[in-house]
Amino acid sequence: MKSFKEVAPEVEATVVWHKDFKSVNDWDAVVIPGGFSYGDWLRAGAIAARSEAVARLSEAVARGIPILGICNGFQVLVEAGLLRGAFLPNEHGRFVCRWVRLRVERPRGPWLKLAEDGVEVHMPVAHGEGRYYVSSDEYKELNSSYPIIRYIPEQNPNGSSYDIAGLGSRDGYVLGIMPHPERAVTPLLTPRGFRPGGELIFRSISRSLKSGW
Amino acid sequence: MITVLTTEEINEIRKVLGREPTAEELAMFEAQWSEHCSYKSSRRLLKLLPTKGKNVLIGPGRDAPAVEVFPGIAVIFKIESHNHPSAVDPYNGAATGIGGVVRDILTLGAKPIALLDMLYLGDPSDRRAQWLIKGIVRGISDYGNRIGVPTVAGDTWFDSSFNTQPLVNVACVGLIRVEDLLNSKPIPGDVILVAGNPTGRDGLLGSSFASKSLSDEPGRDIGAVQVADPLMEKVLIDSIVELVQKRVVKFIKDLGGGGLTTAVAETAADFGLGAEIFLDNLHLRAELTPLEMLVSESQERMMLVVDKQHLGKVLEVLGKYDVPSSVLGSFDSSGRIKVYFRGKLVADVPARELARPRDVYRVSRPPKELVELVSPVSSIPLVPVSKALRVLLSSPNIASKKWIYEQYDYEVGVRTVVKPGYGDAAVLRLDAEDVRGIAVKGDANPRYTSIDPFRGAANSVAECYRNLVSVGSTPVAFVDEPNAGNPERPEHFWYFEMMVKGVAWMAEELGVPIVGGKVSFYNEDSRGRQVKPTATIVGIGAVEDVRRVKTLDFKQEGSAVLLVGETFPEIGSTEYLARVHGLEVGEVPIPRPNQELRNASYVSKLVENDVALSIHDVSLGGLAVALAEMAILGDVGVDVSVEKVVCRGCTRIDEVLFSESQARYVVEVPQERVEVALNLAEALGVRVSVVGRTTSKKLFVVRANQQAVVEESLDELRDIYERNLSELLE
Repeated sequence: MKSFKEVAPEVEATVVWHKDFKSVNDWDAVVIPGGFSYGDWLRAGAIAARSEAVARLSEAVARGIPILGICNGFQVLVEAGLLRGAFLPNEHGRFVCRWVRLRVERPRGPWLKLAEDGVEVHMPVAHGEGRYYVSSDEYKELNSSYPIIRYIPEQNPNGSSYDIAGLGSRDGYVLGIMPHPERAVTPLLTPRGFRPGGELIFRSISRSLKSGW
Repeated sequence: MITVLTTEEINEIRKVLGREPTAEELAMFEAQWSEHCSYKSSRRLLKLLPTKGKNVLIGPGRDAPAVEVFPGIAVIFKIESHNHPSAVDPYNGAATGIGGVVRDILTLGAKPIALLDMLYLGDPSDRRAQWLIKGIVRGISDYGNRIGVPTVAGDTWFDSSFNTQPLVNVACVGLIRVEDLLNSKPIPGDVILVAGNPTGRDGLLGSSFASKSLSDEPGRDIGAVQVADPLMEKVLIDSIVELVQKRVVKFIKDLGGGGLTTAVAETAADFGLGAEIFLDNLHLRAELTPLEMLVSESQERMMLVVDKQHLGKVLEVLGKYDVPSSVLGSFDSSGRIKVYFRGKLVADVPARELARPRDVYRVSRPPKELVELVSPVSSIPLVPVSKALRVLLSSPNIASKKWIYEQYDYEVGVRTVVKPGYGDAAVLRLDAEDVRGIAVKGDANPRYTSIDPFRGAANSVAECYRNLVSVGSTPVAFVDEPNAGNPERPEHFWYFEMMVKGVAWMAEELGVPIVGGKVSFYNEDSRGRQVKPTATIVGIGAVEDVRRVKTLDFKQEGSAVLLVGETFPEIGSTEYLARVHGLEVGEVPIPRPNQELRNASYVSKLVENDVALSIHDVSLGGLAVALAEMAILGDVGVDVSVEKVVCRGCTRIDEVLFSESQARYVVEVPQERVEVALNLAEALGVRVSVVGRTTSKKLFVVRANQQAVVEESLDELRDIYERNLSELLE
């Protein structure tokens, strides 16, 4: 919400409590934020993925409504089978909060409309189960035609396969990302040596909703 | 259950009741009269603290104090200790410490926006200590992260005296508009609601457990430690923020130490009320006896006091967030707490007498061995400065705390302007559309307070003050937490007394009130040795414009490096003496409140006039360490000369470089602004000298008589600074 206000005030954004998320028709796009749904009990995102609200999300996907999952939101999308792969606890076993550098590959769809292929963006990660896992066969497919956001190799904070930090559906309508774009929208909150890379995503969706993608 | 009540106290209870107490009543008195809940040993001395100020809306007495930091905007902040539980079950002990202090903030209706953890831990190379350290950090990480409140700052110290009994002090900061502050009075007829976790058997009489010394088998006390449930805490936060916005709750109190008994008794006593409680209504996790229900300290529970007509709305909001609750009874005007179970009256006690035990007068006597400790340091061997610097940068007390703070989500909430590792204090903006913000920091120096508790505690206040000033904020208020030994032992109690006096004196001198706090006693090992007594201070500063805050990393080459304040040959009790020479002795650096005030106002002027590029206060490790940290973090070299340092009475280079004299700052000023800075210093009568400049080479250079006595590459120093603690803990 704050992020939209800061970089794309023209987008009207509302927080919806999961129990009140009943109809997908009311929304042009949906963001599932981070934040330990159900305390991460069992597995990050596992319980939320089986909730009513996420059943509605699957309908939204079928109708081509753009969906962005951030951190826990990404984990929920993966647990719900709306994006490929799986998540494991970080390689070193600890939660990690840190700014990282990322590279966007094959940007496509409403969330990455303004991104150029190969562009470097910066934002912080904050997760305990952020190690993205995908088999090498599946990866081959992803790497040939899916939008991928990658940690710059020496900055992979959690041991994710192929340094994957974020992943889109093939058409890019659905995007999941472990780092937090909403925390990287203003230079004020960006530490020295980094740039606020999250704006790109919020500006993209704003432009996409106005003029298509 | 072995009671901690003394024979005199039991006789006193008989007198209050006019009969033998029931088992339930005895347990209620034990919980409420425990040191932890009643402050019976400390109250007399705590009166010395300056608690008033024009910005103080609510001082000590409630679950948390409130300070009006900007017109119409209040900051609620509170410190809490969970030392005893963390010694037994570090993970749950530390986690529930966070839970409790967050709920204290919620009682005034404020939204929690930041956490701090001040950890005084054992030697990382000791196996038990390391197990405790890892558990404590993980407990805070798992709990704080899950409830969505960023852990933004703190203090960490490693010392073998904390090997079996660590100090886990945590603080929470909340934000609320003054008009929304939950500050109304319960009246007879108001309904008592308990919301949150079902009550279980965990944490039975946890407060009285915290009010005695650790047994030699810590595992035996596990039943007194509560179990943490951050998910419940998260929905409690969300539901209470909504309840307060809807203005349907009158009064909230945490069910913390002393559980239900303390919440009801203190509220009734504070407002001259009585209460009727029907325990059959309480929602439970397991079948409990009425006694257990009264003193269980199960976490994530709060007492809500509600006007009858709003009860429906309150239950509706709690239902939305799936927060279970039960209507336990109501307040009346009887002045007595009557507790019923299965139709039977199981306790009937006067609220005021229950809530306020008589003060206990404790004898205080300075320990004899102190005389040797504070004698002046003389004739220590000279060690090459380069070597000493390396030792200091690798000291876990100085080295980067990345291994710890990266486990905390310090960003959630999108407010954190100055993040851990970048500045002397954390800075948070109030909101996305607001340029104002607050600075927060926690400080202590267990070595100082163990050698000279008065000076040590005063220096903790001063250091916290400087840290707030360094980032460009104006200090507004402090809370304090003296962690001491056994109050029944005069030699232990003396430390407590002197720490409180030191805090009171310095706060008074600086004109910043101590608006609240907590006291922790019985911090000793099973053999009765007290841990290093420690006075922890948490401060809040007001930031008018968060775009102008200062971090400590050098920003550019060619700047002048200014030392603000005077250096004295004060190496007694320093990190240098301890780490390099293995001595924990000597006169603690003298607190200098007048210089603190003058130098702080100078530094604030530099920020105001946009003269400073970076600012760092000089503390642990002295000038050399302060400079090295600025260079390492900024990746900008520096070249300084010891002759330029104004040092009265220094005869040796280690005195100049490693003295921990108070009231000093290092400031980076662009070359073209040096004159402005020096003129300002003269006008204000502040001692400032240009000790060197930043350079384009990535080198840390210290010269004496033109000769380089230190010449180290920044990469190498950074490696020492950043690697050591994580290697010790990995």
